[in-house]
Amino acid sequence: MLSASDAILQVEHVSHAFGGVRAVQDCTFSVPAGSISGLIGPNGAGKTTAINVVGGALKLQHGRVRYAGVDTSGWSPAQMARQGLLRTFQLSREFARLTVLENVLVAATGQIDETLRGALFRRRAIRARERQLVDQARQILSNFGLDALRNDWAETLSGGQKRLLELARAVMARPKLLLLDEPMAGVNPALIDRIEGHLRELRDQGLTLLLVEHNLNVVERLCDLVIVMAEGRTLAEGTLADHRANPEVVRAYLGSSGTVGGARV
Amino acid sequence: MISMHLFVLSIGFGLVTASVLALAAVGLTLQFGITNYANFAYGDYLTLGAYLTWTFNGALGWNIWLSLVIGSLLVGLVALVISQVILDPFARRGGPVVYILIITFGLSLIMSNGILAIWGADYKEYNVGFETPVNVGPLSLTADQLGIIGITVAMMIAIHLLLTRTKVGKAMRAMSDDTSLAAVSGIPTERITALVWVISGVLAGLGGGVLALNVVTFDSSMGVTFLFVIFAAVILGGIGKPYGAMLGALVIGLAVEISAVFFPSQYKLDTAFVILVLILLFRPQGLLGVVGKA
Amino acid sequence: MTSSTGYYIANLAAYFLIYCTFTLGLNISFGMTGILDFAFVTFMATGAYFAGVTALGPSTPGSEIYYILGLNWPFPLDLLVGAAAAGLLGGLVGLLAMRRLRSDYLAIVMVAVWTIAWNLVSNFSNLFDGTQGIVGVPQPLSTNFNTDPNSYVYVFIPLAAIVIGILLVIGYCIERSPFGRALRAVRADPDVASTFGKPTFRLRLTSVMLASAYAGIGGALTIEFIGAMNTSGWAIIETVIVFTALLVGGRGNVFGAILGALLVRIVIIEGTGLLPQIPGHPELLGAFRNIAIGVVVILVLVFRPQGVLPERRRLYFEQPNRERKARKSIRAISK
Repeated sequence: MLSASDAILQVEHVSHAFGGVRAVQDCTFSVPAGSISGLIGPNGAGKTTAINVVGGALKLQHGRVRYAGVDTSGWSPAQMARQGLLRTFQLSREFARLTVLENVLVAATGQIDETLRGALFRRRAIRARERQLVDQARQILSNFGLDALRNDWAETLSGGQKRLLELARAVMARPKLLLLDEPMAGVNPALIDRIEGHLRELRDQGLTLLLVEHNLNVVERLCDLVIVMAEGRTLAEGTLADHRANPEVVRAYLGSSGTVGGARV
Repeated sequence: MISMHLFVLSIGFGLVTASVLALAAVGLTLQFGITNYANFAYGDYLTLGAYLTWTFNGALGWNIWLSLVIGSLLVGLVALVISQVILDPFARRGGPVVYILIITFGLSLIMSNGILAIWGADYKEYNVGFETPVNVGPLSLTADQLGIIGITVAMMIAIHLLLTRTKVGKAMRAMSDDTSLAAVSGIPTERITALVWVISGVLAGLGGGVLALNVVTFDSSMGVTFLFVIFAAVILGGIGKPYGAMLGALVIGLAVEISAVFFPSQYKLDTAFVILVLILLFRPQGLLGVVGKA
Repeated sequence: MTSSTGYYIANLAAYFLIYCTFTLGLNISFGMTGILDFAFVTFMATGAYFAGVTALGPSTPGSEIYYILGLNWPFPLDLLVGAAAAGLLGGLVGLLAMRRLRSDYLAIVMVAVWTIAWNLVSNFSNLFDGTQGIVGVPQPLSTNFNTDPNSYVYVFIPLAAIVIGILLVIGYCIERSPFGRALRAVRADPDVASTFGKPTFRLRLTSVMLASAYAGIGGALTIEFIGAMNTSGWAIIETVIVFTALLVGGRGNVFGAILGALLVRIVIIEGTGLLPQIPGHPELLGAFRNIAIGVVVILVLVFRPQGVLPERRRLYFEQPNRERKARKSIRAISK
């Protein structure tokens, strides 16, 4: 277990049930600040549910979540976002009928006046701030190679481009902790490398990343710390090598399909 | 002051209203649970049932119960046609869910005015003799009202048997829980959906007919006014839960009639509204529903 | 052009201007924020009634017309009271209906609100004189200009045009603001919008309140122009007609809203109004007209949901260049 000062996220004995079905049971783990950590496990292990609870999308039923030292149990996603905790979704969810540039602009938290009063009476001040934001957004879009598409409707992008847009959007929000729900799902191998590069850049800039990921090759290359979940419980924390040597983890994976590491689950 | 007698009588009326509601609510919740969108023309399905029944009974002079049966079967047919021609093709296209809700709203406009155009703007009544109430225990109901309760009980049993004993019914339950999983498991989702629309139409037609029987005089706006009460019963029970809808219908039916003992009867509908508000504030998944679909 | 034709067109212009307030309002709640505001005409009626009873004197006993207030205030105070009342009601309904994000629940509550309000006003005669409604509302500025009933419309049109002009500018400012962008994000995906810290509930509530105020202003203008309003004026179909108008003209576009008001309220409704009545069946023409509206809204949603003037794509601090347009059309062809 990490000390409180090293961990940016501490999940303590979180449980969550849907109706009568226990999706997560006594889940406990810590994410060190400034790391890229992975959350792995066979299908149905409760990983996405755990992320949902941490991010505030699901109402916390049991347990506690500490983010940056603050007890954020029961916070809404909007509150979490304002404190710098952001998550992405398994299926790319870009804002439809907004351009690519607007998708990124919307992600900016806390700096723009998104009120009716602002729209009517503070137009000049807002215009100045918008200029700054647009510059920032276009910079980020360039970084991800999307600047040329900035004025296209976001829904016209290809699947891979939407992934990149999702990342660009997340970067714009300047999070401290980014929860990524299967960022590589359905992404073609050429793009995987590129996205990995982006994620490393983000870590180098000071972000902490927690990935839920099935592709264990990616996890091996990227993650400093890996947490294993199975059947709603946390089994172990450590490196992937530790996990391969851990009979409990191997059994959990063999119970569903495939082996740990090397093969895709 | 308010006498115990009035109170007990209102329970009798409550059971009748609950019966009418139950027929309509079960039809709506079955369809809502499987197609995953609300049908805002549903009230007009009831109105259509009432008018078709009137055509056989009021215009042609046939027996009221026979007319009810034929009328509701015809509404089932209409519901099937509408779903096959307009609603299902549009739903399959994907797109924002708000669009199909507006389409059902437009459909409501077409149906209520179509009924007005075909049958005229005057108030209609069924061809049933004036009846004196019969005493059933402490309650006092007419033979027709007892008939309404009887029909409802029979239909509820039929629905129960359909859902629990038949393959089709089990397929319906599976689809209601998880449509994509059901499709992958080999359930013929399109055919089951069509069947559910027919059932929903038949129940609506029946509900409309008995509603008209109960309120005596009706016009083409009957269903629209009643629509949100049906929704209230569906939400109270939990969307997609037929037993919940029966329970919701019972609760709202009784509440509405009992409230008429204490408040002027033109505000009966407001009771249903209050219940709807309370449910949405405190338990939006309904009494039997599970958090998630809400 | 005879003077009676001129008079007829002037009246059409007045009705068109009034209807613009409805489409502009719905464009904010439904067009930009995606809220199924099925109770829309309730807010219109609220604005009309409150403006009416503010402008009228107290109800005289023995006249058999009962209503609340009766303040005898002049224009534009009665308009403001109507707008405020409608906006407040919109806020209340929003507080009630928008705690859950699911579209159909919201729509159901909206329908319920309309039903209850309609029922309440019809049955509770002391509010706004039940189904008879209120009559004799003085037309604004008519005494100042000393007009006879036939020329009043020429006073009303510039008045209404100013009001609609203001509402249009507000809508346009919203469209181009971060607020408008946030509304559209909420329309696209409220959950993801929350994830990025957008105050989704507050945004939707503001949107509905503003839209309701617009509806209230439109209602107030209606009752001030016509002088009367009763329950038949805000049947549930009126909501469908506003939706149809907005969808036909183009949702998410203030000019689409204006065009929609023209196409549906003037062309379709007035157009069918010119057809001869069918002898013996006075209600038939109205029924066919309503059926036509229902068919139109379904056709629009099936074939061209974005409307005649679709939502415009906004460029930020740059000019559209021809190279981009060429690339766009090439991609469109190859798709």
